[in-house]
Amino acid sequence: MGWRDAWWISGVAFTELSLQAIYAFRQGNLLPAGPARELAAKARRRVIQSKIVVAVVLGLLAAGACLLLEISARVVGTPFFGVFVSPEVFQTCVLTALLAVEMAFLWWTGLQVIPTYLASGVLPVLEPLPIDDATLGRAAGLLYLRLFDLPAAMVLITTPLFVAWTLGLAAGLAVVPGTVAAVGFALALALITGRFFVRRVQGSRGGGGRTALRWAYLVLWVLPAFAMFGLVVAAPGFLAIVGRTVELGPSAARDGLVAIFPFTFAALPALANAGPGVFGLDRAGTTILVVAAAVYVGIAAWSILWLMVSVRRLGLAPPLVPAEAPAARYTLAPERPAVAVLTKDLRIASRMPGYAFLVIFPILDAVAIGLFTFVAGPGSTGAFDLALAAVSTAALLATFFGPAFFAIEVLAYSYGRTLPLPDRFIILGKVALVALIYLLAGGIVLGLTLPRVFLPGLFAAFIAAELPAVLAASLLELGILFRRARAKGLPIVNLYSGGYYAVFVAIPGAVVAGLPLVAYRILAAGSTSVAIAAMGLIALAELVACAPFSLGVRGGRDA
Amino acid sequence: MASAPFGPDPTPLTIDALTVMYGEHLAVDRLGFSVRAGEIYGLLGSNGAGKSSTIKSIVGLVRPTHGSVRVFGFDAVRQSLATKERVGYVPETSLLYEALTPREFLEFVASVRRLDATTASARSKSYAEAFRLEGEFEEPIASLSNGTRQKVLIIAALLHQPPLLVLDEPLNSLDPRSVRIMKEVLARYVASSGRGVLFSTHTMEVAQQLCHRVGILDRGVLRAEGTLAALRERAAAGDASLEEVFLRLTREDEGLDLAVRALEGV
Repeated sequence: MGWRDAWWISGVAFTELSLQAIYAFRQGNLLPAGPARELAAKARRRVIQSKIVVAVVLGLLAAGACLLLEISARVVGTPFFGVFVSPEVFQTCVLTALLAVEMAFLWWTGLQVIPTYLASGVLPVLEPLPIDDATLGRAAGLLYLRLFDLPAAMVLITTPLFVAWTLGLAAGLAVVPGTVAAVGFALALALITGRFFVRRVQGSRGGGGRTALRWAYLVLWVLPAFAMFGLVVAAPGFLAIVGRTVELGPSAARDGLVAIFPFTFAALPALANAGPGVFGLDRAGTTILVVAAAVYVGIAAWSILWLMVSVRRLGLAPPLVPAEAPAARYTLAPERPAVAVLTKDLRIASRMPGYAFLVIFPILDAVAIGLFTFVAGPGSTGAFDLALAAVSTAALLATFFGPAFFAIEVLAYSYGRTLPLPDRFIILGKVALVALIYLLAGGIVLGLTLPRVFLPGLFAAFIAAELPAVLAASLLELGILFRRARAKGLPIVNLYSGGYYAVFVAIPGAVVAGLPLVAYRILAAGSTSVAIAAMGLIALAELVACAPFSLGVRGGRDA
Repeated sequence: MASAPFGPDPTPLTIDALTVMYGEHLAVDRLGFSVRAGEIYGLLGSNGAGKSSTIKSIVGLVRPTHGSVRVFGFDAVRQSLATKERVGYVPETSLLYEALTPREFLEFVASVRRLDATTASARSKSYAEAFRLEGEFEEPIASLSNGTRQKVLIIAALLHQPPLLVLDEPLNSLDPRSVRIMKEVLARYVASSGRGVLFSTHTMEVAQQLCHRVGILDRGVLRAEGTLAALRERAAAGDASLEEVFLRLTREDEGLDLAVRALEGV
């Protein structure tokens, strides 16, 4: 057997994985009526649709970055925190952010898929068959690559194309190693962190102390991805730092900078177009850059090879092994049903990094932007605007929670449907969790900006005025998803199997959450108080409109 | 029974002309039977006979195409909440929140069932100790064996002491000790006033030991129903085992010898 057989086997396994991801029958959901061949084809189509959605988002990121590259010549006259940067430095910073975000996004989507991949059991089914070790290893590796094929191809193809289009062919070719490294690292990181979290987080025992430890692990896990997001948010500051470092001439700081991924690769297009003089690189600096790039490419290539071996081992190993346990605590503390749903979701999220990411991200975002206001002067308009931006971001991020928390409900959906739990309690529990995260994020920003922004009352009013819109957006999204689930028995399990619907419901959610923010922006030029009042009224009207739609969901549990 | 404490009708379960279709496939065909108060009713059938579809109709997982399912007089479709409050269900497969521990899962079920902390804790402790779950009570369900998951599901079904227990192949994956405990639990359970148990299995020995009456389901149709004695009489099977009676009534004994002989050369 060779690569051809491995490719064929990985195709069969991928169909099985798609079927399980879409119909979630391992979680007890019923397969819809119809010939198995058609169901399998439909499942594959749906997974491919979701991969296309992820790939399109990545393509848009690359296109957006290249729009920024287009204007690089015009930024020469614009100071960033008092520092003028050259077009080449600007281009390098944009490409650094692009490569970082591409890697983070691929990594994060990979983490959504890995629990499904591990739970599917597709590899243990193959293991007893008379397939030689090499072919089985290749099939496992190819199966893993199939999960990422379209998004990875989008990064590998569109990034060099867009860069070539805006900066020239040499620059396009120069960015290729960077994209290869970003994809290789993302795939390896997804597997490494996936394995770590399956063991240390999913496999963690119950109990208050361990729950806190799990959340601490999850915060640690989010930090790298968050740092990359922060890089984009703090772009002007980053530009200023890079500009100053380049101005310094040959220095340890500059040599360090060119050795840091992904700056090393992002600098290559500028170097390809303008030569080492563009960053004032001396021989030592150039050597460091070349060696760093070669090392990163080597690590990326090794990562891919390591993946091909480790994927099989990971897919076969029992993910969790019960440890010797201390005496059990049988005390149960029942809660009100809606609170029980909220508690259950938080407990599940604490063992599933993909969901935990959504809970932690807005909070970290609030901390980062809150701290960033310290750049602006005390009481300045800039600081106030930044603080409002942090709350607005938290509100808009909340629109992704509906699909995510619905996805938690799909776990053991069949069992849940046999309990006397009306859908409105489930929806209320999830909306309460969304509100909690939003208020926590808002509270953090308020606390951090209190010494800088001297309008705490106004700021608190802004947070409160937006709250009904956040509730309305979540209610609308959950209402759509529950109605859809009732009508079609549709489970939405993860980003790949349900990305299409997650995007579909997030759009109206974003409109509902965003409308009061837009109203504020329009009216704030006149009077901030009036703008906040109008914002609150719009948000309340949205809540009144959305609540009956969602809380009136009737179905198996309510009828 | 004079009083009906669990609903308008004292009969735990009444199924009338139940038909379940998946697309064009007929899974259950005009099925009718009832589980009386104080009775363990065994639903027997080969794989694909329609047992699980019948049970899923009772617990609200499958909507009947025709016919009705009533639990203590409550319609399982139109009054699903009232029905679910009165039913404890053990599914055929281990459908659980894998990211929760047994304690967290039972806490969620107790909350949904609106049990107070004292009652819920006392019951979970009794059952967990009986099933020897102490070592696994704080482990994520994902790490547990099938048998342990089954025990967790059984405890979840018993936690609110429902007047009707619906068990779909509940003894699958259980160790012999737990099977014995389960049999004891069920026997004592129906001894309490007004309660009933519906028990699906294809293990004839278990059904023979446990069930007061059995219904034999074959390709979605109820072929026979009654006590073991009544079924023996109907099958003209003398003092044959339930397995013999089952094979005769479903005509699955036809060609059995040929099938076994055909395997000899394999």
